[in-house]
Amino acid sequence: MVALTLIAVLDIFLFLLVGAWTVGGGETMITGLVAQFFIGDELSRIPFWNLVFVPDAGYWKIYISLGMLFGAIVSAVLSKEFYLRFPRRLGEWVMITIGGLLMGFGIRLAFVCNVSTFFGLTPQMNLGGYLAISGILAGAWVGSWIYKKVLEG
Amino acid sequence: MSVIGECIVAFVFGSIVGLLVQRSRFCNTAALRDAMLFKTYRNTKPLLIAMMILTFGFTLFLTFGEGKAMHFDVGLNQVAGLFLFGIGMVLAGACTVSTWVKAGEGNVGAMWALLFTFIGMFLFSLLWTENFWPPASISMTGEPNLEALQFGFINARTLQDKFGVPAVIFGMVQVFLLGLIYRAIVKKEQAQQLEHDKAAAAHKVKLAEAA
Repeated sequence: MVALTLIAVLDIFLFLLVGAWTVGGGETMITGLVAQFFIGDELSRIPFWNLVFVPDAGYWKIYISLGMLFGAIVSAVLSKEFYLRFPRRLGEWVMITIGGLLMGFGIRLAFVCNVSTFFGLTPQMNLGGYLAISGILAGAWVGSWIYKKVLEG
Repeated sequence: MSVIGECIVAFVFGSIVGLLVQRSRFCNTAALRDAMLFKTYRNTKPLLIAMMILTFGFTLFLTFGEGKAMHFDVGLNQVAGLFLFGIGMVLAGACTVSTWVKAGEGNVGAMWALLFTFIGMFLFSLLWTENFWPPASISMTGEPNLEALQFGFINARTLQDKFGVPAVIFGMVQVFLLGLIYRAIVKKEQAQQLEHDKAAAAHKVKLAEAA
């Protein structure tokens, strides 16, 4: 409760300086930079990377993601909670793989991630926030149903 | 602000968020999943509190034309995209924030989820074309474009410009509605607690009788 209150206050400052907290955009840029590293200029032949997200390491949203990783590592090491954990069963790996793909695809289709939905668009009363929330609630419901079936099965 | 300045601010913000989320174990996925699956609201309540603070703060500054609001056309692609995202986050057991934070804790499953989020994004980029629905620049005209299932751009500030009512007033209505949801959750929790106490008391009586 305290943590989220602090995050909300910080997010307001961030909104005034550069823009509200978001993750999906930074992740897309990381995807673009990694792809560019592997295939080079070939990438610009895909219209998306030429028109929507031109790979640019100076894109501030990337550094929110890297910051979260850094903050979490520091916090986990300091509280002695850092250790490698692996999903045990094959089923978990499959679910995580499908889940990851759906998240990445969904973010780009919607142009927003869950963070922009709850911590950016909706508090700005952007119509997209309400559209996104109705989508994520329906999706979480279907996901929970699948999850339950898998747990039982 | 310079590009480097923006990146530094973003990194500092991200680091503090990473620290706070790691310590508090807050998870956006759990906020929705646990409420639906287990009827527990440990993560749902802080999410609502944060949204109330943000709504007030953002709409207050939007009233004065301050702040950098997100500005792009929205449409049915938000519903469809976040629907897929919603299924994905429950299956992966993590959302965009918790994948980064759990990866930082050494959770290999979260790193795997992150890797496939990137792959999912890349797959989408292969499908995207300039004149194709979903959101293509050509269908984003700033006005409702129903043929492309786009509704244009509306936020608290455009409401202010249209109706002459300060954005923060609209914001306070939203804060009030979020508050009602919060109150309903607290009431539900109280009812659950009462039921739990009753069951515990009944169990105690049984144990006493057995003894």
